[in-house]
Amino acid sequence: MLVARGIFQLAARRGVHTTRILASTAPAAADASSGDNLILNFSLPAASIYRNKPVASVVIPGLAGEYGVTKNHSPVIAELKAGVVQIVHETGQAPEKFFVSGGFALTHANSVTDIAVVEAAKLEDIDAEEVPKIYAEAMKDYNAAAEGSKEKVEAQIEVEVAKSLAGALGVALT
Amino acid sequence: MSASLGYQAARRLILGGATRMVARGMASEKEIAARMKSTAGINKITKTMKMVAASKMRGDEDRLKAGRPFQKWVDGFTPPPVLLEDFAKSLDKLPQSNLLVVITTDRGLCGGVNSSLARVMKHMVPALDKEKKDVQLFIVGDKGRATMGRPLGEFITQINSDSGTPYNFSLAAALAQDVTQIKADAVHVVFNRFRSAIAYEATVKTLYPPAALTGEPYVEYEFEPDTKTEVLDDMYEMAIATTMFTSMLESAAAEQSSRMNAMENASKNGEDLIKELSIQYNRARQSRITTELVEIISGASALES
Repeated sequence: MLVARGIFQLAARRGVHTTRILASTAPAAADASSGDNLILNFSLPAASIYRNKPVASVVIPGLAGEYGVTKNHSPVIAELKAGVVQIVHETGQAPEKFFVSGGFALTHANSVTDIAVVEAAKLEDIDAEEVPKIYAEAMKDYNAAAEGSKEKVEAQIEVEVAKSLAGALGVALT
Repeated sequence: MSASLGYQAARRLILGGATRMVARGMASEKEIAARMKSTAGINKITKTMKMVAASKMRGDEDRLKAGRPFQKWVDGFTPPPVLLEDFAKSLDKLPQSNLLVVITTDRGLCGGVNSSLARVMKHMVPALDKEKKDVQLFIVGDKGRATMGRPLGEFITQINSDSGTPYNFSLAAALAQDVTQIKADAVHVVFNRFRSAIAYEATVKTLYPPAALTGEPYVEYEFEPDTKTEVLDDMYEMAIATTMFTSMLESAAAEQSSRMNAMENASKNGEDLIKELSIQYNRARQSRITTELVEIISGASALES
């Protein structure tokens, strides 16, 4: 749960508003004839990004590593780390990328995948130039905090999230 | 407030003095006028509170609509929510130790949202206790403290109040941490579900801590990372946070709709009272005028004769 709060602070600092995502996504009606698609539910406490949306595939940032889900994938319960969720709506298209905080992803036997995270932002909405600054501040807090204290752990989370953001956006960190 | 006092009781309170004096002699115009003025003042307040509650309800309803889908990921692996009245009828199905998380409001003058929950709790908790089942109460909201603090004091583990609205996920996550520390075989979140601007229903959502699950749970699922117990514990905590978050959103919207209706009723009652007082006032005024006329005339005729 600390991971969730880390990205929370990060997102709050950056002023990335989830509401901006909503403008572009309308909840799709459940598609019975989903063909080769899996049904995706992607939601945050503040908003539902996709509800019963048929998509071709999703790449999910699990704690143990990224993994991809397509229709008829075996059931999985995965704990997530801060990273990128990639959604391919139709095979062949470029993936839509969201940077997410920690959370959970459940893939059920009926090809329904639920992704529940605390915060998410479209990768293109994130200001890449701010990331090195966030990283530098987080490193400062990390080095200044006492060993084993709550501040140290929180700063460590911020550092890891910043690194993950940098990786996702292709920004170099010093 | 007239709404909570009940129409007849309020009428007696405000007209009380006046009706007694009518029996003795004439009710004083000034007193009736004073009561009319104070009732009108209260009416202004209740009307304003109604408008404020209506606008707050719109905001809470929007937040609720946006946040309700988030609960779906939990509903996938937990029993569906049940009505509190049905839950209270099947207490024998409950496990040995239970934690009841009750969501109430911080502010009052909101109709029956809190009292309806408290009423059921005051019957249910001692009943469970009599059946030798462990019950603990985790209360959210100051009115929960007011209505259940004394009668159910021995069962209360924690009270959380004045957290500030609107509720957000951070608060829910913080409360979830406290909830998961309390050992229980089942956690039941009791809240008022928002149905519409005029309807809400008391609902219970039950979650089971992984430690209390018998057999091999989720055997058909692969776990990433494969430390199944840790993943299940974290997932449970997030499920509790999610459930508390959505039930607090429902409770907030229900609170505003209930307050809106209560204040509407109070305003209506107030207007009726003013009408009655106005009739009384005119009667008193007319009888005063008649008395004065009679005095003048009898005085004049005494002079003549």
